[in-house]
Amino acid sequence: MIPQEIAQTIIDPKAYADGARVDDAFARLRKDMPFAQAHPEGFDPFWVVTKHADILAVERQNELFHNGDRATTLTPIEVDRKVREMMGGSPHLVRSLVQMDNPDHFAYRKLTQSWFMPQNLKKLEARIREIAKGFIDRMADMGGNCDFARDVAFLYPLHVIMEVLGVPESDEPRMLKLTQELFGSADPDLNRNRAEIADADAALAQIGATVGEFIEYFNAMTEDRRACPRDDLASVIANGQIGDQPLGHLEAMSYYIIAATAGHDTTSNTTAGGLWALAENPGEFAKLKSDASLIPSYLEESIRWVTPVKHFMRSATADTEMHGQKIAKGDWMMLSYPSGNRDEDVFEDPFAFRVDRSPNKHVAFGYGAHVCLGQHLGRMEMRILWEELLPRLEALELAGAPKRMEANFVCGPKSVPISYRMH
Amino acid sequence: MSDRKTAWRTWQCMTCGFIYDEAEGLPDEGIEPGTRWEDIPGDWICPLCGTPKGDFEMIEI
Ligand code: HEM
Ligand SMILES: [Zn+2]
Repeated sequence: MIPQEIAQTIIDPKAYADGARVDDAFARLRKDMPFAQAHPEGFDPFWVVTKHADILAVERQNELFHNGDRATTLTPIEVDRKVREMMGGSPHLVRSLVQMDNPDHFAYRKLTQSWFMPQNLKKLEARIREIAKGFIDRMADMGGNCDFARDVAFLYPLHVIMEVLGVPESDEPRMLKLTQELFGSADPDLNRNRAEIADADAALAQIGATVGEFIEYFNAMTEDRRACPRDDLASVIANGQIGDQPLGHLEAMSYYIIAATAGHDTTSNTTAGGLWALAENPGEFAKLKSDASLIPSYLEESIRWVTPVKHFMRSATADTEMHGQKIAKGDWMMLSYPSGNRDEDVFEDPFAFRVDRSPNKHVAFGYGAHVCLGQHLGRMEMRILWEELLPRLEALELAGAPKRMEANFVCGPKSVPISYRMH
Repeated sequence: MSDRKTAWRTWQCMTCGFIYDEAEGLPDEGIEPGTRWEDIPGDWICPLCGTPKGDFEMIEI
């Protein structure tokens, strides 16, 4: 069993905000107990999968390790009980691809899969470049000081996904606020009540209200796109068919919600953390400046470095064994992506940020049947931003201490103050 | 003029978008350039996401 102090750390939103505290905890686990059970207070016990190879092995066996049978993210016992009460026994408030297993997962993923393939995304490249240039021009106008997280990184991917989805620009602030409420539900700076959460009731009431607001918004959007379809992702979802039926209501709403949340916060966190890493590593910045062909490897390294999705949960559908440990049917498992991405057996000097790291087989997008659907879109957005920004950026340094969000699921920097010179 | 027998084809992983090009093979994985899709073992999986060979589709690029 994992020592209590480590078990408490790996679920603690404040430890993720600190960064080093979770890194140390996972480094100790990888060394001493790479596959063991944690029993943090208030949670059902779960296996902590810390090694890169084990994460791949679990994710590849998606019939043996299900997404949907238990909560897909770390959820306290009390909250889980209340969700099930509310949702007629289901442990999920929404039902997106993440909460599905086959056969539904395959059918629902197929609906948008080809839309997310690189060959289809090419048609967006020119428009995304225009959006990126707009943000970079604004950054140039700010006169050499900005909070790169707040002023650029959080707005650019938001704008891209909302345009792709079909949400008008005037609604973007609302979408950003709702996303931050959802992923920042433990962070008093970001959550719906802007306060520390008192208990399970308060936590769930906040999340429920946020999800409710999303659903109200997307209900109206579905009606609109059914009446007059457009060339956007919302129209694909609104008019999609599973077999010969339209999508279920909860499933359709959840599809929008995952695109409208996972579709930008992850990319924003990575972008903010990527620039932070350059500001902290002037040698790497210089290397990248002198060789634009390093942009793709810098991009992969920034994704590995930030790993904005901190975990997903799985549960076993049958008794099995891994690492000599007996896993019982129903056991809950935490896939720790940040840990996999610092695995000493896979990455040379894993705690060093190297713009030319190669190979770089990180697991930040997951693996297997649920591997990130938006990975090509996310990469494309970031590649374009760096292609446009880096040639213009002549000097860069931190102008204060960056801050990370307090969260244990999707998170990264919330503030990256920089001073810079650009033309 | 591409002769049926010699034209190389490309196959795409329907989960992650990875492309297998017969002309290039996958030398890193011990698959020689020029290896036909049919000649790749049935238990081979996508090098990026682990999807089985059966879930690849032939595509034109
Ligand atoms: C740097 C950016 C991103 C990162 C690091 C990231 C990471 C992840 C991870 C770790 C998963 C779970 C994979 C698994 O279970 O194996 C996931 C799933 C998903 N992501 Fe992303 N993501 C990013 C950007 C995006 C974007 C731009 C979209 C666009 C809509 C998106 C949509 C999704 C969807 C729909 C799923 C669920 C797939 C499924 O369960 O089948 N993501 N992502
Ligand atoms: Zn694949």
